[in-house]
Amino acid sequence: MSAPANAPLRGAREGEASLFRRLVARALARELHAFVVPGAEVARARGIDLEAAGLRLADTPRHASVLVLVGGLPEALKDAAAVAYAQMPRPRAVLAVGPGDVSPLPGPDVSVPPGQESLTRGVAELRRSFAGGAFAPEVAEFDVEALRTQTEYVCPMHPEVVSEEPGSCPRCGMDLVPRESAGGMDRGGDQGQDQGQDQGRGHGQTDNPGHDHAGHAGMDNDHGVHDQASQERSGQGGRDGAGRDATDHDPEGHPGRGEEELEADEEDATGYGCPMHPEVVGGGPGSCRVCGMDLVPREDAAAADGAAHGPAHGPAHGLAHGLAEARHGSRGGDGDEAHGDADHGEGSGGHEHHGEAEQDGHMDHGDGTGFMSMVEMTRDLPRGSDGLPMERIEVPFGPLFPGLPGGLRLSLTLDGDAVAEASAAGVEGRPFEGPAEPVGGFADRLSGLDPLSPVAYRVLALRAVEEAAGIPIDEETALGRAGALERERAASHLNWLMGFAHLLGHARLEARAARLQLALLRAQDAAEVARLRDEVGKLARGVERTPLLRRKLRGVGPLPTACATDATAFGPVARAGGRTTDLRAQEAVYPDLLGFEPALRDGDDALSRLLLRVEETRRSLDLVRRANAVSLLPFRPGGAYPDGTGSATVETPRGAATLRVWLEEGAVSRFELDTPSSAHIELAKPVAEGEELADALVGVASLDLSPWGPPPWVPPGAVR
Amino acid sequence: MTTLLMVLVLLAGAYLVAVLEGWVSTGRLRPAGPILSAVALLGRESLLPRKPDRIFFEVAPPLLLVSAVLAFAVLPLSPGLIAADLATGALFVNAALAFVMVALLMAGWGPDGAYAMVGGFRFLGQLVAYSMLIVMPITAVAMRAESLVTTAVVESQAALPNAVYQPFGLAAFLVAAMAVCFLPPFDLPTAPGELAGGVMAEYTGWRLAVMRLARAALVFTVAASVTVFYLGGWLGPVLPPWAWNAIKTLLVAAAMLLAGRFVPRLREEHLLAWCWKIGIPLALFNIFYVGVLLLVVG
Repeated sequence: MSAPANAPLRGAREGEASLFRRLVARALARELHAFVVPGAEVARARGIDLEAAGLRLADTPRHASVLVLVGGLPEALKDAAAVAYAQMPRPRAVLAVGPGDVSPLPGPDVSVPPGQESLTRGVAELRRSFAGGAFAPEVAEFDVEALRTQTEYVCPMHPEVVSEEPGSCPRCGMDLVPRESAGGMDRGGDQGQDQGQDQGRGHGQTDNPGHDHAGHAGMDNDHGVHDQASQERSGQGGRDGAGRDATDHDPEGHPGRGEEELEADEEDATGYGCPMHPEVVGGGPGSCRVCGMDLVPREDAAAADGAAHGPAHGPAHGLAHGLAEARHGSRGGDGDEAHGDADHGEGSGGHEHHGEAEQDGHMDHGDGTGFMSMVEMTRDLPRGSDGLPMERIEVPFGPLFPGLPGGLRLSLTLDGDAVAEASAAGVEGRPFEGPAEPVGGFADRLSGLDPLSPVAYRVLALRAVEEAAGIPIDEETALGRAGALERERAASHLNWLMGFAHLLGHARLEARAARLQLALLRAQDAAEVARLRDEVGKLARGVERTPLLRRKLRGVGPLPTACATDATAFGPVARAGGRTTDLRAQEAVYPDLLGFEPALRDGDDALSRLLLRVEETRRSLDLVRRANAVSLLPFRPGGAYPDGTGSATVETPRGAATLRVWLEEGAVSRFELDTPSSAHIELAKPVAEGEELADALVGVASLDLSPWGPPPWVPPGAVR
Repeated sequence: MTTLLMVLVLLAGAYLVAVLEGWVSTGRLRPAGPILSAVALLGRESLLPRKPDRIFFEVAPPLLLVSAVLAFAVLPLSPGLIAADLATGALFVNAALAFVMVALLMAGWGPDGAYAMVGGFRFLGQLVAYSMLIVMPITAVAMRAESLVTTAVVESQAALPNAVYQPFGLAAFLVAAMAVCFLPPFDLPTAPGELAGGVMAEYTGWRLAVMRLARAALVFTVAASVTVFYLGGWLGPVLPPWAWNAIKTLLVAAAMLLAGRFVPRLREEHLLAWCWKIGIPLALFNIFYVGVLLLVVG
């Protein structure tokens, strides 16, 4: 099961085990902070309470000493888990809850079967391992492919120009700057660590066109190389290219270029322009009279600049923007301003005496002190919604982010702290591979698809297969399933509420929701579930009365108006906006036997989604009370399954999921699955864009996305 | 000697604040918790981010601590126990606390990480919201004491503590006090669920230990300043003066730590809007109101 207690941890810290270190190791063993992969909500959905077992949950791997893996990880998350592990300071350990291959991580230090008791035992063992093996004289490096850094060279002006070798850009002739393309940290993760849960893609990949963070480091005043490149270029181009050197601020190094050179250029082609100065237009190829760069064909100029050239180059720049921009200056080493901005500097340096260099607002900053005016630094940046230019950075939130469901990759391009662009993606489920699944195993596998609502997918599989085989459902079975579904719905909503409260920073709500959710999952029978109804009622009243909560959530995360007409929103998200899409109302068992009525609100914002889910939780427990059963009856034992096709739809906690199955020879030969979340993930973009960062996250979280997408179907015999 | 004693008191206070914080967040009172946490943090690696602004990254945690220590130095614990009895003590508190913003901005900038940077700049916005609410209530407190000397401020409350004399000032000052120590619901720069730790996210090992110590010391200092300015400092019957001061300070600290559990984190725009549209008029009214009281009642 694991190494003996005195063996060093696989992630031990280097050092002889002195008396002092042994004492420290004991303290380490008492203070275990866990970072959960894929996420705390997956552990909670399985009824596992990590805090009760003695682990404190950490929001970032930097503050964690134990990486807890819950269940088998999908391939897509393994690299993310490896990056998180590399970010943890030593001594560190891996605790696997449930089976599953953990590579590329080092084998788990402790591995336990799922369940609260075994977890408690596992934590005790982990403590012993820490106390005895937190320090070791020799420690192994942790080095996997996902962590390696590759350097590639890109043009600061043309992001599409990427080369493996240093050189100059074929389009504008600028020197290519190095950038890290994959990975985000050094070997072992001990010294070089990049930020956050970003899959190791640090700033190396958070670039926006022309504004390359990683490029800063690469531009460390290597004048020698730059000069060389410049000379090569001037040899090829037959003109003085030294003025393009982004790091050179020495006016003497740049013989001024007169306009006669520009005029002397050929004029046979049409529509040439300067990539940096849209106002400079030439009839043919040549160089810019302001900055000396080669003119490029007009389409190219437009493509290269794109959004980079805002319409207004006015001097209105806020303090925060200036500070954000100052980042360039301080990062770029002494005085070498990276980015296209450097071209202005060089332009004014080279044309110091021509006068025209200053005419369009360029300030002379070629004095080598490293000062650069804010106007200068921000003039070519894209404008945000407030009209102020900011350097945009692309920041990954996920796949392992504490405020969002684990596995969800939300990538936000921040313009200050407003979200300029957003994209979201989920995790592809593990593929179902042929040969055909026997029906019993099929239900098991489908229920393992989404760890956040296993019961709903099991019921879906059962119903679809029964439909295909023409098996009638009796009332007892229907009621039992309804009860089980409603219990899961309540637990799922509470699980979401806990994560949402964590995002909101509302500690008490988080604790209450967690307690109720676990009690609900652990309840033995319907009567016990029904007894929790009153506590859920109290929680609901508490939510409604929480000061500041309504103010914070009202108006956050509205859906685009198109959602009102075409059905892109499902389940609670749709019902919170007043759109009835509750399939339960159409099923016989709910309205007839249980007196079900769907809950509805018409707010279409995060507040309305919160209140709707709380209300649905309450109603779900009422339904369980009336159904008085929470049993999931399995397939008819020993039943025959004739060939056929069937489809079923179930209102999962996140909306309607539809499954079509094909039965052949008593087994499922093929299926198609539509999940609500695969459509909902598309909503993250409109919900987040244009919002302030906190509101964008709240808006996305309020959608209750499940990142666990449907698996691709692999036909029997196909080779992956 | 006095200075040494004050340092020990501040350390003890920070320790108790850490115990209180553990109790508030986990529900368990672990008197040895902070020691274990500190030793565990010291036993772990302190990693450097990949491309840190090394000076900013290293200086930020000690600077945060220095800011708390400086502010604490001018607060009297009992009639003779004060490290530096400045003639401008009350104003000096405000000046020392200004470094909190500098420290957090540096901590946000230093590691070259997006979460930390957003956290740092958020705190700059937070400063714009709360800074007037520190100075203006202190003004009214000094008006009553007719002095900026902190011991004089305490003595001016012999008849009636400022909490009763000028409750509006207390309300404004408490908000600012919680905002300056970025306690929930004002924890915008750290924002656990939103920024994964924000300005603290990139600190590990002993650097994180210094950061947490600084934060606890800051909470204690700010609670002590509330005690001095509004709760009559060491004044009280029966118990010795230092005990009164300690009890009041810890109660204020506990209240500040607990309050954040019951409300969600504020939105930056709301914080700014409420501080400027409600807080500052309230603080101005407080100055006017105290002025009238002083003229009429004497």
